Amino acid sequence: MIDTDQATSKVTPLGAARRLSPPSPHVAADARYWSEQMAAVASRRDRDGFMRIYDHFAPRLQRYLLGLGVAQASAEELVQEAMLRVWRRADLFDPARASLATWLFRIARNLYIDTIRSEPNWMPVQDGLEWLDSEAASDPASDAEAFVDHAGLKQAIDELPAAQARLIRMSYFEAKAHREIAAELNMPLGTVKSSLRRAFGKLQAGMRRTR
Amino acid sequence: MRPLHHPDEATLVSYSAGALPTAFAVLVSAHLGICRHCREQLLDADRTGGMLMQQREPAPLSAGARDRMLARLGETRPDPPPLHRVPVVADPDCLPAPLQPYFGATYGDLRWRMIAPGVHRILADGVTGGTLMLLRIAPGRRVPMHGHAANELTLVLQGAYDDALGHFAPGDVADLDDEIEHQPVTAPGVPCICAAATDAPLRFSGRFARLLQPLIRF
Ligand SMILES: [Zn+2]
Repeated sequence: MIDTDQATSKVTPLGAARRLSPPSPHVAADARYWSEQMAAVASRRDRDGFMRIYDHFAPRLQRYLLGLGVAQASAEELVQEAMLRVWRRADLFDPARASLATWLFRIARNLYIDTIRSEPNWMPVQDGLEWLDSEAASDPASDAEAFVDHAGLKQAIDELPAAQARLIRMSYFEAKAHREIAAELNMPLGTVKSSLRRAFGKLQAGMRRTR
Repeated sequence: MRPLHHPDEATLVSYSAGALPTAFAVLVSAHLGICRHCREQLLDADRTGGMLMQQREPAPLSAGARDRMLARLGETRPDPPPLHRVPVVADPDCLPAPLQPYFGATYGDLRWRMIAPGVHRILADGVTGGTLMLLRIAPGRRVPMHGHAANELTLVLQGAYDDALGHFAPGDVADLDDEIEHQPVTAPGVPCICAAATDAPLRFSGRFARLLQPLIRF
């Protein structure tokens, strides 16, 4: 078993400190490890496997939601709701489509928009969107996740130029809209968008890096 | 339907991050329902979000949170089934599912208000992030050259228009910011119905007001 906590807890993503070491080979193994835990949850209702997932991800989801400005108690409720979805819908998790971290991020983000922003019908619409691709994903030819290089993505995140890293951070960690970012950094709106576009291009290149 | 014009990647990143104002997010959801390309792009953005989430320093949960979690695993309450499967174009008289909470289910029941000759509009109520509206512009109408002081996202629902950026048919999205000027002309035949979102501050009444002022003089 991989000690994922040790592998990641001291790393601050998009941090100012540039780490020159090569990307951790654990990242890809991590994704596989969590997929295996999910398979055990789906097939055997494995509580131990589920609680391993909980112990690793719940405090990170909590950090994510606190960053979006959700109050401590509400964040904890959302985390529990997100984890409960993982438990109940484990059979819908498709490791050929996305990693568990990606799936959990989606669930937490959607619960945040549904609950905190009270967007009408947000969850049903998102469930519908997810369903659209669930058919195609069962086709082995479209095993999209197999072509995702997690270590490459991690490296691309670490290597983003500081200005682009800042825009990614303001988007993902603080849920700041383009216009808010433009105002805060005194940048033209178009520059905010083109910088984010370029940053995303680099991250996608990292995900599809050939090994 | 395979759209040719998509939201900017920066817009999808913002959607993924939960940072896109409501009016824009609703439009992007409607486009995602018919655009596999953008759903794949969004998945990449969500992969980024998942990686960033996983790499962050854990936040402590309150004492007892773990026990409460364990206690809930025994609950047998089944999940409600998904209510929508985003039948965006299944019924030509139905609006895309994400727009329905704001405008109702069908085109036939829309209550248009004329705001200029050949131009009708419906403003969505209760949208706090940005302004969300439907626009219906008569066929063959030229909209004078205009720029953008804000973000503006337009999704064509029926009919079509052309501008320097190309031909925009149902499902296509125009994602414009403050560096773009364009001059749309609606296609002949049927009116062009669009959903549009803007983050222009309301006190300036947005560029839609400016857009439509010349039309009033037609
Ligand atoms: Zn698209």
